[in-house]
Amino acid sequence: MGLRSAWKQMSWLYYQYLLITALYMLEPWERTVFNSLLISVAGMAVYTGYVFMPQHIMAILHY
Amino acid sequence: MVLNMTEGPVKKPVNGNGCCRTSNGVKPGMNGCVKNHLYQQHSYCSSDEKSSHICHNGGIYKRPFKESFEETPMLVAVLTYMGYGILTLFGYLRDFLREWKIEKCHNATEREEQKDFVPLYQDFENFYTRNLYMRIRDSWNRPICSVPGAKFDILERVSYDYNWTFKYTGRIVNDVINMGSYNYLGFAENSGVCADAAAEMTLKYGVGVCSTRREIGNLDKHEELEKLVAKFLGVEASMAFGMGFATNSMNIPALVGKGCLILSDELNHASLVLGARLSGATIRVFKHNNMQSLEKLLKDAIVHGQPRTHRPWKKILILVEGIYSMEGSIVHLPDIIALKKKYKAYLYLDEAHSIGALGPTGRGVVEYFGLDPRDVDIMMGTFTKSFGAAGGYIGGTKELVDYLRTHSHSAVYATSMSPPVVEQIITSMKCIMGEDGTTLGQERVQQLAENTRYFRRKLQEMGFIIYGNDDSPVVPMMLYMPAKIGAFGREMLKRNIGVVVVGFPATPIIESRARFCVSAAHTKEMLDTALNVINEVGDLLQLKYSRHRLVPLLDRPFDETTYEENED
Repeated sequence: MGLRSAWKQMSWLYYQYLLITALYMLEPWERTVFNSLLISVAGMAVYTGYVFMPQHIMAILHY
Repeated sequence: MVLNMTEGPVKKPVNGNGCCRTSNGVKPGMNGCVKNHLYQQHSYCSSDEKSSHICHNGGIYKRPFKESFEETPMLVAVLTYMGYGILTLFGYLRDFLREWKIEKCHNATEREEQKDFVPLYQDFENFYTRNLYMRIRDSWNRPICSVPGAKFDILERVSYDYNWTFKYTGRIVNDVINMGSYNYLGFAENSGVCADAAAEMTLKYGVGVCSTRREIGNLDKHEELEKLVAKFLGVEASMAFGMGFATNSMNIPALVGKGCLILSDELNHASLVLGARLSGATIRVFKHNNMQSLEKLLKDAIVHGQPRTHRPWKKILILVEGIYSMEGSIVHLPDIIALKKKYKAYLYLDEAHSIGALGPTGRGVVEYFGLDPRDVDIMMGTFTKSFGAAGGYIGGTKELVDYLRTHSHSAVYATSMSPPVVEQIITSMKCIMGEDGTTLGQERVQQLAENTRYFRRKLQEMGFIIYGNDDSPVVPMMLYMPAKIGAFGREMLKRNIGVVVVGFPATPIIESRARFCVSAAHTKEMLDTALNVINEVGDLLQLKYSRHRLVPLLDRPFDETTYEENED
């Protein structure tokens, strides 16, 4: 039961995301294109942060 | 005067009737009353966001004039622009695919043989139509298969290629509550006195007139209608035309010409703009309902005269509307009449939405403010909205109407009104005036006023941003984001409510809205059903943007312990 309400909540949040970014009006393949672009950019940002964060923190502490 | 303090939201006194006043002229128990008695003359109550103001200009406004145009929340504006940006990018992508024939092109293009000629279809101008409008096109042009009264039936449509073509499933959706028709007094019906009279008239006169008014198409019914309209408005004479849009666009050129000045409101209807442009006069636009802007323009016009020669203008005509249907705002008529008298200009008032819908007996915005109809030089209106028919009229002095009969394009060249339509107008107008012996008309006007107040109040309490004056039956509710326009229309139809949603270019690009039209034919149960559904859809789509939460009306007497009604 907890899983079903969590699923409903996630589904409602995804619906809000579709409405706000106007993906609601686009065809399914366009949504796929946009979502994959967004996830790849976000993934790259997270990876870069993960790789370079220790160096940046050391540089800040050094000063 | 008896002070009636116990007013619930539905049992409010109607416009102008039985208005209760305290000694300083302020109505108790209404919105913002606590702030009011601190200000006396020429005050605009300004909260930090300048969202609502109440005019009490030295007594020319006999009752509180409350309208609000809440500002767009910053986050919502940013997200709306972002949404439009994403749609534009995808629009370019799709255009690219269509250009390179990777995808099939559904819209009109020229044939191969014509490719070297001057282009017929301007591709970029239709960018918005192709890429944004088409995607949510199923919210517009819905085919209705019954009379558009308080409820109607819709033919169900389905599209398999994303709204480029529609197929009918054959099913009819019954009893959809109608929140979109301009059926303010509920005269759009297929049974009852008006319909019977119109049917009788069809049997007597037929349907087509086959001529213009000047030639052989002037029926005795037209003369009767014009006398009745003049009596209804309180003017000397009037003239009726077959089409409301044509009334404006064809008569303004007859009244003004080159060397005249037209001062027109920013948000005037397309028919007024077209008529003004066709006339050839100089057009200057003042900010919407802004009397300072209008006065500045009038002063400049009188002082400087025509642009290069500095000769005085032949005529100055102010074009305003009674109720602006996209904003729901009512014109500041007492101010305009004061300005007009001071600067000796003429006033053209387009009462398309306000005739029959405002005022204690439905005579329009002039009666709503308690002014003299003779102050307005040209009173124009349409029969489409409150009277359930088609056509328009112009009322004024006898000289004006006689001049228009000979010089107006619509009178000389357009076919005259069809007899059943004329009869519908005559019967409904007599009903509103009470001349048919019943109080049905008066009841309808009061029911409309109650419905309007109730509906607007409830929507504002729920937390939506509603534009416009508290007394106007046109209720625009802001949606802002492009995806929510389509989503709102579809979700409401799924729950059996028919609404009209409006986007660019009828409104500014980020201010898209859903426009509800309250009708006297709506019972309280229908309004409650509609309000519950709007509440549900508002929660689903997160449309409750308003940052002013209204405290629900009190049911105890107003005294010093009453707190501010607007909680910010």
